[in-house]
Amino acid sequence: MLATAVNEIVSTKLNPNVVPHLHIWEWHIPLYLFLGGIAGGLLVITSIMIVLKRKFGIGPRDQGDGCPCLAVRIGSILSPTLLGIGMLFLFLDLAHPLYVWAFYTTIQPTSPMSAGSWILLAFFPLAILQAMLVNKRQLRSFNIEPVNKVIDWTENHMTIVALVNAHIGVGIGIYTGILLSFFSARPLWSSSILGMLFLVSGISAAAALMLLLAPKDEKPVYSMIDANAIWIEIMTVGLFVLGGLTGSANTHGAMMHLVTGDVNLAGMSYMFWFWGIFVGAGLVVPLLLEFLEAAGVHIKFPNVAPVMVLLGGLVLRFLIVFAGQTYHTFM
Amino acid sequence: MSNKKNYGMVIDTRVCVGCSACVYACKQENHVPEGYCRDWVVQETGGEYPKLTMENRSERCQHCENAPCVTYCPTRASHYAEDGTVQINRSLCTGCKACMAACPYDARYVHPEGYVDKCSLCKHRIEQGLETACVSICPTGSLHLVDFNNMDQKTKTLLSGKVVYRQKEHAGTEPGLQWISASNKHGA
Ligand code: SF4
Ligand code: SF4
Repeated sequence: MLATAVNEIVSTKLNPNVVPHLHIWEWHIPLYLFLGGIAGGLLVITSIMIVLKRKFGIGPRDQGDGCPCLAVRIGSILSPTLLGIGMLFLFLDLAHPLYVWAFYTTIQPTSPMSAGSWILLAFFPLAILQAMLVNKRQLRSFNIEPVNKVIDWTENHMTIVALVNAHIGVGIGIYTGILLSFFSARPLWSSSILGMLFLVSGISAAAALMLLLAPKDEKPVYSMIDANAIWIEIMTVGLFVLGGLTGSANTHGAMMHLVTGDVNLAGMSYMFWFWGIFVGAGLVVPLLLEFLEAAGVHIKFPNVAPVMVLLGGLVLRFLIVFAGQTYHTFM
Repeated sequence: MSNKKNYGMVIDTRVCVGCSACVYACKQENHVPEGYCRDWVVQETGGEYPKLTMENRSERCQHCENAPCVTYCPTRASHYAEDGTVQINRSLCTGCKACMAACPYDARYVHPEGYVDKCSLCKHRIEQGLETACVSICPTGSLHLVDFNNMDQKTKTLLSGKVVYRQKEHAGTEPGLQWISASNKHGA
C-alpha cells in the first residue's frame, strides 16, 4: 500500500476578507492602477511628441501659435484628468476615507503607499501646466488674468516642462506596478518586473486611447507607437511568467495559480482570462491588426484594435490584483 | 537586565488542548466584533497513518521586530511601541490595508468601524502589571507572556532542551512568538 503523508491545518480564524484568502482590494484598486497607467502613458507620449516636434521637427503638424497637434492637446488634458479619477477610486477604497489627510502628515520612504501619495501629488502641477501650455490659444481666449500670467511666464519653456514630464510619466507608470511588488508576503506580486509590465501596458493603452481620439491624419503615428509598445509588452509578459515559473516554490505556485488557474473571475477561469482575453485578445490580435494596417491592408473597423488593447490593459490589472490575493500567503 | 522591554510570547503546544478559551477571553477583553478574532487556534495534523502527530496551538500577531506592516504603513498608524510590541494608532489609520497585504501571517482585519485591528498583546493590561487576557485564562498554562530582554528563570527552564520554533522566520520578520513544539518527547 502506498503511504500518503498528510499535513492538514484546521484553524478557527474567522476574519472576513482574510480567510479563506485575502480579499482586501476589489475593483477600485485595479481600476486605479489602470487609469494611473494610462495617465502615466499619456504624459510620456504627449511629452515626447512635444519634444520631438520642437527639437527635431518630427511628428504631426502643429496647430499654430505654438500649439501642438490635436491628439497631443487632448492627451495632455486627459492625463491629469484620468489620474484624478483614479485617485478618487483609491480614496473610495479606504476603510476610513475621512482620514486621508494622514497620508500627508508624514513621508515614509519605506512605504510604497506613502511614497506614491507624494509622487501623485507632485505629478499634478507639471502635468496641468503642460495641459495649459498646449492649449494656450484656447485658454487665452477666456482671458482669465492668473491663467494668462502662468502661460506668459512658462510658454517659452514648454520643451523643458515636457522633458521633465516624460520622466514623471515613466515614474507613475512604474509606480503602479511596483506598488504591488513590495509585498513580499504575496508571491505573485513580489516581482519587480511588474513595474515594467504596468509601464509598457500603460503606454500601449495610452497610445490606443490617442489612436481612438486622434483625427485621421494624426492616427498613423499612434498606431506605430501602440504596435511597438504591444511588442515590448509581449516580451515583458513572457519574462514575468518565466520569472515566476522558474522561481521558488512560492513564486512558481503563484504563477501557476495565474496562468493555469481554475479560480473563477466573473464566470471564467484565470487561465482563460490570462491567455484568451489578456494575451490573445488584448495583445496578439491587436498587434496583428495594427501590423496589417501599417502594411496597407484595409481594416474595416480600425477602432477594434485600440479598444481591444484598452480592454486587455484593464483585464491585466484585475487579474494581477485578484490572483495575487487568492493565492496563499508566503509560506 | 535591560530596561528596555521586548514583550512576546512563549506558547507551549504540548499542553494546548485547543479549547479556544484564549480566543473568547480576547474577544471580550478587547471588544472584538462578532465574526472577527485577534487570536485563533490551529490544529495541525501530520505524518502517515497510523503514525500521526498532532499539534494544537494558539496564534496571533507575532509582534515582529522587523514588521512589514510597520514598514509599509504610509501614515505611521502601525508602529513599534517602546515595549517591543507592534501597535496601531486608530486615529491615524486610513484603512488603506497596505499592512494587511504586507503581513506574512495574515494577523490583521478591517474593523467594521473603519480601521485595521489586530492583537495588541493587551498593552493596556501589561501597563497595569497584568498578563494578557489570553494568558490569564488559559486553563492548561500553555500561554506565557515573556519579556525576551529579561527572561525569568521559569521561562528559561521551560524552553531549555526543547524543540522550539518560530513561524516563517525566512520572511525576515524576526517574529516575537515562540512555540514549544508538540514533537518534544514526554518529560523533555
Ligand atoms: S505578525 Fe503581521 S501584523 Fe503582527 S507585527 Fe508581524 S507583520 Fe505586523
Ligand atoms: S490600514 Fe491603517 S495601519 Fe494599515 S497600513 Fe494603512 S494606515 Fe497603516
